Amino acid sequence: MIVEFKNIYKNFGAVQALDNVSFLIGNAEIHGLLGENGAGKSTLMNILGGVLPPTSGTIVIDGVEFQHLTPHQAVELGISFIHQELNLVNDLKVFENLFINREITKGKIYLDKKEMIRKSNEVFKRMNISIDPTLYVRELDTLEKQLVEIARAILFESKLIIMDEPTTALTDKEINNLFSIMRELKKNGISCIYISHKMPELFTICDRYTVLRDGKFIASGFFKDIDENKATELLVGRKIIEEKDIHRPQLQTETVLEVNNLSCTPYFHDITFSVKKGEVVAITGLFGDGRGELSEALFGARKVANGEIIKNGKKLNLSSIKQVMKSGIGMIPRNRKERSIIKDMNILNNVSIAHFNAKHKKIFISNKEEIERFEKNRKVTNIKANSPKDPITSLSGGNQQKVIFARWFELDSDVYLLDNPTQGIDVGAKFEIYKLINYLAEQGKSIIVFSSEFPEIYKICHRCIIMYRGEINKIMNHDELNEVDMMFYSTGSNRKES
Amino acid sequence: MADKKITKEKTKVYIQTKVWPFLKNILINHNYVVSLILLLIIGRIASSNFLTFANIMNLVKSSTFIGIIALGMTMVIISGNIDLSVGSILAFTAANTAIMFNKTENVWLSLGYAILVGTLLGFINGFFIGKAKVASFIVTLATMAAFRSLTIQQGQGGPILINQAAYYSILRNLGYGTFLKIPYLVWIFLIIVLLMLFLMTKTKFGRYVYAVGSNEKAAKLSGINVDRIKIYIYSLTGLLTGIAAFLYVARFGSVDTATAGKSFELDAIAAVAIGGTSMAGGKGFIQGTFFGIVVLYAIDSVLSALRVPAFVNDLIKGILILGAVLLQKVLNNRKANN
Repeated sequence: MIVEFKNIYKNFGAVQALDNVSFLIGNAEIHGLLGENGAGKSTLMNILGGVLPPTSGTIVIDGVEFQHLTPHQAVELGISFIHQELNLVNDLKVFENLFINREITKGKIYLDKKEMIRKSNEVFKRMNISIDPTLYVRELDTLEKQLVEIARAILFESKLIIMDEPTTALTDKEINNLFSIMRELKKNGISCIYISHKMPELFTICDRYTVLRDGKFIASGFFKDIDENKATELLVGRKIIEEKDIHRPQLQTETVLEVNNLSCTPYFHDITFSVKKGEVVAITGLFGDGRGELSEALFGARKVANGEIIKNGKKLNLSSIKQVMKSGIGMIPRNRKERSIIKDMNILNNVSIAHFNAKHKKIFISNKEEIERFEKNRKVTNIKANSPKDPITSLSGGNQQKVIFARWFELDSDVYLLDNPTQGIDVGAKFEIYKLINYLAEQGKSIIVFSSEFPEIYKICHRCIIMYRGEINKIMNHDELNEVDMMFYSTGSNRKES
Repeated sequence: MADKKITKEKTKVYIQTKVWPFLKNILINHNYVVSLILLLIIGRIASSNFLTFANIMNLVKSSTFIGIIALGMTMVIISGNIDLSVGSILAFTAANTAIMFNKTENVWLSLGYAILVGTLLGFINGFFIGKAKVASFIVTLATMAAFRSLTIQQGQGGPILINQAAYYSILRNLGYGTFLKIPYLVWIFLIIVLLMLFLMTKTKFGRYVYAVGSNEKAAKLSGINVDRIKIYIYSLTGLLTGIAAFLYVARFGSVDTATAGKSFELDAIAAVAIGGTSMAGGKGFIQGTFFGIVVLYAIDSVLSALRVPAFVNDLIKGILILGAVLLQKVLNNRKANN
């Protein structure tokens, strides 16, 4: 199948998600689609899958021009989309999943299981894999699930398969297995769009590439003509960073937190680093690097297999979150809506919930003290709200996040774990959060920021730890930081794919 | 002339900024007050004896048993859970309290025993829900059946009778007597309402219950020991049910093991719903449940004053519960859209 995007634009309100994107995907070709988060990859793929209509532009598929595909048309044309979070029903059997919504029947009603199982076996044989179609999907491992999705695409004669980060949960051996199946598909004339952040993989499996950045088409070409440095450069561009707004306070010498050989299979292993007083350390990486799990482990929210955390010379008791809080560690979790906001409570009560837990000795609560504490930290955090009694949900994302900061300020923690602290908030509010992080560092607090945004890391941190597949791949000081190298180590390009 | 205009403006502003929001708040969050007032008005129209002191006291008195249970249920529902076993806990505790009373002929010992047994049964619920993390609906559905079966076994299918001499001399007065013209039962109910109101609004524990019901993950990441809070909630509900069971014995003087407390859980849930507590957890009011249970009993009373055949009582109740919850939903949606 030959697909040509012609001048595709897509607006979401005022946001320009795609800005004049044109390129071509050839017949029997594995095409790598590259771009940072928010570059417009998923929007473009959703347009191809008929999920979203483009604002303007056309897609030409095998010579036929389409203004706007419907999901049904996309399927009829033979386009399959394999999402990162797989679309299988765990409680149905493999063959039932393969034929979902296209069941073969005897007469009108009665399901012809035999025929469906026979066809399933046939397609697995074609793919050279052995999966028992009568197993329940929940009994399969991730690779097998991935293969079932691909089998479904083949079964209904897809001519183009879109794979969105298919390897994040796979081991090296499984990845190689997947690649040989993809090569087999290519021989049969099936095209494939391969979305991934992992450079070594892209160079191994893909023929051609297209890079998107900020919704714009940047480049297309053959992988054999470029190297990984060039690809990373195309990916991130050369962005100018304004440093003057934020200054990093002078480091103090005293070490506050030491993490020794912390492991939690399969998420991360042998994590060792330390944080000084007044230091901001960023931990970064790409999807599947295990840093989200690491942040939970540091806070006592996830059991670790081995290793220890030492704070101010004392080994930390990781048995419960409350213990960790009492030792002076605070946490701003990622995914504010799901993990930090208590939506039915007002602003005031949202702030004080952690204080009551770790510091308030009395059983009873005093509204007066609660408001006093709130007003003190409201100035520091600059929460913009009419009344502390307003519901938390009436605030903007940035102000909600400041409320969560205030929650931990009440405990006066020494170490702050900030997991994706600027997620889903606008640029102005981001800047205010950076200033808050600055303020904390000036007060001699130690801060660990878990983030994937380079400009953010560059602005605020003294050091940056780069993780790749659950291990520390590289630690860079601020003066060594640059986006190309960071992407190089995040994608594991310094390691050989085995 | 000008002065008049200014005062008129002032009144208008006052109504817009103070009175209207206040009324709106009552309509949205506390519309059980409106239901109650409407019911009382209808009752008064139907019968001139309706709004007498004695009748009102009767209303509150008869709602005491389920009312105390409903207070625990409010807490359970605010935390995002449910308790279907309260009726069976009441039956089991009442039966054992009766046995204890027969043995000891001591009021205080019997009360202590009722509280102990109730709390223990509640703790069993809490353990499976908090520690073993089984859905509360399932756990309490199972214990509802199990506790009831144990009770019937204890009574060999029949009632457990109380030593009548001892009952008449020391226990009965609690169920029928008054203090300052107000029945003991009503006093006890009101005191427990105030204690629970205090617990839910003025203590850390109350805060945690709301937090767990609103966002369990966030509560956990704020350091709240969610499992333990759930165990406390169910134990406390058991404790309240134990008190209700003791009062039940004092009032009725015998316990029919097969029917005592039967479907109390449904009336308790209904009262919580009428009282404006969200079934999804995180939002709710103890005072709402108090009015909710009174409304529920007022319906019976009003219908009999209207000489409506008793068969349709539950139909009217059903309509009223649905109506109250729908109204909250509609008004809340409108608030969200504005």
